[in-house]
Amino acid sequence: MPIERVHSFLVHPAKNQEEQPNIGGTRIPHNGSLFRMLTGVFDRASQECDIDIVFRPSAAGEQQNECRDLLVAYVQQPTIQRGRLIARRLQAVSTHRSGLGLLFLIKGNVDGEHRLVISRFPADQGVIAEEQHEQLSVEFVERVFMKSAKAYKSAFYSSDAPARGFWDGRAVDLQITGPRELSDYWIREFLLSELRTTGPAGTKRLAVALRAAILSGDDLAVKHELISAANLMRGQDGHRQSTRQLIQRLGLSEAATNALEAAIPRADLLDEVFQFDRAEFERHAPYRAVGLDNGALLIAEDARFNEVFRQQPVNEPEGQVRYITQGRVVEEQLRKTR
Amino acid sequence: MNDAIADYRQRYEAFLVKIAQNLQKLMAGYLEGVSHIDRVIARAKDPERFGEKARRKREDGSPKYNKPLTEIQDQLGARVIVFYLDDVSIVTEVVTRYFQPIEQRELVPESDWEFGYFGKHFVLPLPGDVVPRDVDPGKVPRFFELQIKTLFQHAWSEDEHDLGYKARKPLSTDQLRRLAYTAAQAWGADRVFNELWDELEG
Repeated sequence: MPIERVHSFLVHPAKNQEEQPNIGGTRIPHNGSLFRMLTGVFDRASQECDIDIVFRPSAAGEQQNECRDLLVAYVQQPTIQRGRLIARRLQAVSTHRSGLGLLFLIKGNVDGEHRLVISRFPADQGVIAEEQHEQLSVEFVERVFMKSAKAYKSAFYSSDAPARGFWDGRAVDLQITGPRELSDYWIREFLLSELRTTGPAGTKRLAVALRAAILSGDDLAVKHELISAANLMRGQDGHRQSTRQLIQRLGLSEAATNALEAAIPRADLLDEVFQFDRAEFERHAPYRAVGLDNGALLIAEDARFNEVFRQQPVNEPEGQVRYITQGRVVEEQLRKTR
Repeated sequence: MNDAIADYRQRYEAFLVKIAQNLQKLMAGYLEGVSHIDRVIARAKDPERFGEKARRKREDGSPKYNKPLTEIQDQLGARVIVFYLDDVSIVTEVVTRYFQPIEQRELVPESDWEFGYFGKHFVLPLPGDVVPRDVDPGKVPRFFELQIKTLFQHAWSEDEHDLGYKARKPLSTDQLRRLAYTAAQAWGADRVFNELWDELEG
């Protein structure tokens, strides 16, 4: 049995409250349907948690992080007292918007590695119906916790040396596509962590791959599709997502997807979540597009734009310019949008 | 312990050297367009040096590292060497744009009266971009160490490492004082060159 200990704590929303409510906690026995459900959470965590995160250093820049210290202490000795300190951390950052939550700490050992899964289930409302002989009693309850709840959050850490390891882990927040403060609550405020891949690093990788995919292929339709995708990507500033999610969101064709995927250094990088950074994208953008107030749209490879389109001032005070280009027509398309 | 050291040697030969080369290219790419970079270098720790470090003991005689493959964070190391002191903060800005550090420290001697090692050190997550497609990421170090140094800091630390750190017997008081003297000269040269840059070009 890889699971060694499970604790659960009821966590109230108490951010910015001077007096923190007491936290009720219990050890979950290794039998029954709740334990079976939590075994599923533990077993699935390595797949389900798909956002790579790292702990932040201390304010002095040292390898020390308050949240990690609590997790490591719990892993080394998983007692209810040590678990309650983690629950207290979560409570101190939980707002009324986050609401009441049930925290589970599941400590196990898999293939010689210490593993810790932290899951928070939000409270919901429900109805209990109990039959006794021919009578039915119905009761409304406000503290129902469902594993299918939409705001399910989890984090996963694994290391053979937790005292020096456990600096990176993975998390999932099923509201990651929603308002940013919800994921900030789980990853930045509670776990005191950041995405492992910074926005500029993930964005540069994507822009460079896009440029390589556009330049390497012979299929003009695919090239066009990728150029359009590059323009649409500019609208993704601040969105946290993986390259694969972005490809799906933009609805790229199979051929364009394949071309882009082939230009990414490793397939698993397609699933790394990062925050798209438009300024960084522009730095490495493969194509430059210039629109004029007469409806014209000029597109060319960024590095060669000034060579392909020669600019002449016409009426400088009014900002009027004339672009001149010359070449053989190799393609013509009618498009509904830019 | 011997298993871990043998395992490291195998990893070194199989892919760590290649990963270090890729890391050097990646870092150079991130720093493209930044002025006053003398060079960017990256290396995988020599297996002999890894073995020496892995066998180190604490004062009470217990091993310092129980799981050296996880615990030793400088299996991969990179160094950015810049011309002037002010360039260190410029490079730091670039580094923290592309990496989320788990450690970021300015290393200076403990006492204000001392001269010795100066430098900016980071421990950073190793980006997947540098890991070849056929390598299992589970066998690759999760982090690497990055140092940013001026030319004089770099020169001094290389010589000090060779003469002081690797010395076969403890250095005498006079030898230590002479090493501190060279550190003071390197520190002073950095200050003067930075001031001259500011006056003449800044």
